[in-house]
Amino acid sequence: MQPLLHLENISKRYGSVRVLDGIDITVADNEFLTILGPSGSGKTTILRIIGGFEGIDGGRLMFEGRDLASVPINRRPFNTVFQDYALFHHMNVAENVGYGLKVRGRPRAEIAAKVADVLETVGLGALGARYPAQLSGGQRQRVALARAIICEPRLILLDEPLSALDVELRAQMQRFLKSLQRRLGIAFVFITHDQEEAIALSDRIIVVHRGRIEQEGAPEQLYRRPRTPFIAAFLGENNLIAGTLAGVQGAVCRVETAAGPLHATVDGPAPLPGSAVLVAVRPEHITLAAAAPGALVAEVVEIRFLGANILIELRHPALPDTLIKVRRLADGSTARLSPGQRLTVGWAADDAALLVAKG
Amino acid sequence: MKQKAPLLDTLLGLVAVAGLIALYAPLVAVAALSFFQITRVRGVMGFAPFSLEPYAALIANGEILAALATSLIVAMVASLASLVLALMFAFYFVSARRRFGLMMQMMVFLPFLLPPIITGLSLLIAFREIDFARGLATIIVGHIVFIVPVVYRTVLVRLQLLGGSLTEASLDLGASRVQTLVHVILPQMRPALISGALLAFAISFDETLITLFVAGSETTLPIRLWAMMRVGFVPEINALATLILLVTALITLAIGLLQRGQAERAS
Amino acid sequence: MSTTSSSHRSARPRRRGIVRDLLWHGLNLGLPLLFVVLPILSFVLVSFWTLTNGQIVHTLTLANYRAFFTEGSYLQVYLGTVLLSAQVTLINVVLAIAIAVFIFRRTPRVRFLILMSFMLPLFMSYIIKIYSIRSILGQRGLLNEGLLALGLIDQPIEVLLFSRTAIFIALAVLYLPYAILPIYLALDRIPANYLAASADLGATPLQALRDIVLPLGRPGIAAGAVFTFILTFGDFVTPQMVGGTQGFTFGRIVFSQFGLALNWPLGSALAVILLATTLLAVALAGLTLRREHVR
Repeated sequence: MQPLLHLENISKRYGSVRVLDGIDITVADNEFLTILGPSGSGKTTILRIIGGFEGIDGGRLMFEGRDLASVPINRRPFNTVFQDYALFHHMNVAENVGYGLKVRGRPRAEIAAKVADVLETVGLGALGARYPAQLSGGQRQRVALARAIICEPRLILLDEPLSALDVELRAQMQRFLKSLQRRLGIAFVFITHDQEEAIALSDRIIVVHRGRIEQEGAPEQLYRRPRTPFIAAFLGENNLIAGTLAGVQGAVCRVETAAGPLHATVDGPAPLPGSAVLVAVRPEHITLAAAAPGALVAEVVEIRFLGANILIELRHPALPDTLIKVRRLADGSTARLSPGQRLTVGWAADDAALLVAKG
Repeated sequence: MKQKAPLLDTLLGLVAVAGLIALYAPLVAVAALSFFQITRVRGVMGFAPFSLEPYAALIANGEILAALATSLIVAMVASLASLVLALMFAFYFVSARRRFGLMMQMMVFLPFLLPPIITGLSLLIAFREIDFARGLATIIVGHIVFIVPVVYRTVLVRLQLLGGSLTEASLDLGASRVQTLVHVILPQMRPALISGALLAFAISFDETLITLFVAGSETTLPIRLWAMMRVGFVPEINALATLILLVTALITLAIGLLQRGQAERAS
Repeated sequence: MSTTSSSHRSARPRRRGIVRDLLWHGLNLGLPLLFVVLPILSFVLVSFWTLTNGQIVHTLTLANYRAFFTEGSYLQVYLGTVLLSAQVTLINVVLAIAIAVFIFRRTPRVRFLILMSFMLPLFMSYIIKIYSIRSILGQRGLLNEGLLALGLIDQPIEVLLFSRTAIFIALAVLYLPYAILPIYLALDRIPANYLAASADLGATPLQALRDIVLPLGRPGIAAGAVFTFILTFGDFVTPQMVGGTQGFTFGRIVFSQFGLALNWPLGSALAVILLATTLLAVALAGLTLRREHVR
């Protein structure tokens, strides 16, 4: 099936600085796609390229099989929600929202009807006559959304639209965005540096790092099976233990480490035996048990009480540089832990991901 | 981000080029005529070969040189005095009660907002009422009144940019007000002070409309030139004009670079 | 004993503080009052006096204002000058909008340079520019001679100098930068992403100009118009230098009352009318600005 939008091998440089390198992204109809990356990763540049605000130095940008290279910004079939909304302060809410229809020369009555309709959709029915300066942050956000969807684009671009909102409003707007996207049935390309936001909202996440795509997949897949140390560290917290790949049985790999053999799971092709690899385990996936011979036994270094959770830091004598972090629900059993205690550390092979260690 | 609009840009570009030609034609003409004088042979215009004759004549023209000296003195005194006054007004605006500050500011800005002819004749009448004879002093006062708003504006913007926290920090460290002023605030304001003074100098040096009212027998260069031009053509005017254009161009460039540096630091 | 000495000690610095405060307020409010406000008041006062047989009569009358409406051609010259200034303002504001938009559409790096090149002539000697314009426009001036040499005309165009047209051209050239600067500065304050947003919503560059750039540039346009009108209306040297006997403007009449005609009370009254006209222009410009919706 042809994707709605296809970025083919896009590269972009500013002077001698290469900001994007071989970016390949497809966006499907109705999809909530998030491009996630730390600041300076190139994610905003990708969005600006799709929107037409930036040119490209290599590759192609295809929309339904049509090359967009010669299509100017105002003819591109998508609309953007800007980071600071870019609401026109000299126009009221209705004029802002109706602007896309006005410049297309639609009759006034039609514009008024559609504006009322869209404002209703975003829950701002009564505010058409207000000016942006008279609105709260969340309301401005909704106006920006209304303005972007009124022309019924097949796809809208959202440039960190929630970053200016406070925590509570942000959670509320996340729910609203998600339900709006479902209701409208149009594709959202969402840019953010906030991994929790990305996980909560997206059908699919593309992680961008240093101008390249680091990994892409469904949120759970990315979370459970990071393929690079960067992803493992960027999406949530991970314990990383270095070792050498000893053998593969199905998806389960045996890794030789200084602390003895460990197990991890790999999706897709495994690296060659003998490669330097990392075993990544989430703190919440590690089990603790009484010390037993032949098991991975570590000594409790510190216990941090975090309310609902408790964070236990352990050290294995053979892994002096690695602090093993374990997260548990705080209950009666964790209350009995104390520093200096020796415990067996373990996890299900399915909960550990195998990463290729970088040079 | 810029939307491409070749036709619009071409049209606007043509207007811009026409505007530049109109603005620079008088300047170029003066400079050209200072090196190549116009000759007429039986009514047909031609140009004499390159010569520095007008420049030689200029050096020999005592009247012009005297007026030039007057202009330089007036501009120097007026811009220095304006600098001091503008600094005082700016400090007053940021420190006094808002109502007083605004009152002062409105009065200070008036001469710059009113047509110069009004400022000129009101000063003329005021000097007359108190029987103060027109001379160098009245010219300088006239220029100060006109220049202070410009310098004040430049200085105030910088001062407000610095904000009160710097002053407070310095006072907190035990510095007296004078020490704070000399060691903390003035060094920070140096670009604004220099560009303000240069601007003041340039405006004063060129001021014509107010000076025509308040000047006595001792006149500044623009007034002297005005008087000479009314009589007829004097070749050394071209030479002088070229030199003045050169100097003002350099001063303006300096102001521009200073203010750009300031703006960049501010952003 | 101890109480008196302590109260003594605390009273003195306070008194010194009051003196210092008075001096500080006195300097900052007194100097502008003395050198700006009082002179203006004094010429307004003089405008109600009269000149009889070369002597100033210090009784308040409206005679000078009556003279403006009834005697000679004051009113006619006044209206002609208003029209002339309005025409210069109109053409210059239109040109300045085009030029400001042109600069605005350049990349940020070259904007400053282009703007500077339009501002530079502002700092060039005013009187020399007039002189040069005169030498260009003259009957035997560079423009006529140039056109003759090119064969575009076979007779020098006579109306170029010492005419209303000459004043119009000279004023337009002299005061163009004053219109460009405020308009450009207003455009420069338009957030960059407004244009991105309008394009994103489907606006063509011309639509963006109509809906975003010009409405947001309006305060600058009004300021540019007011500057141009005030300066051209009050200028009396330019009309005299390039207008000759044909170009008798209101400013020249005012100035001549303080020179050759030597009727200060009448000159003051005419100046009050000139001042009132410029204030009216400012008020009109203010009216055209709707309430600003600041972000």
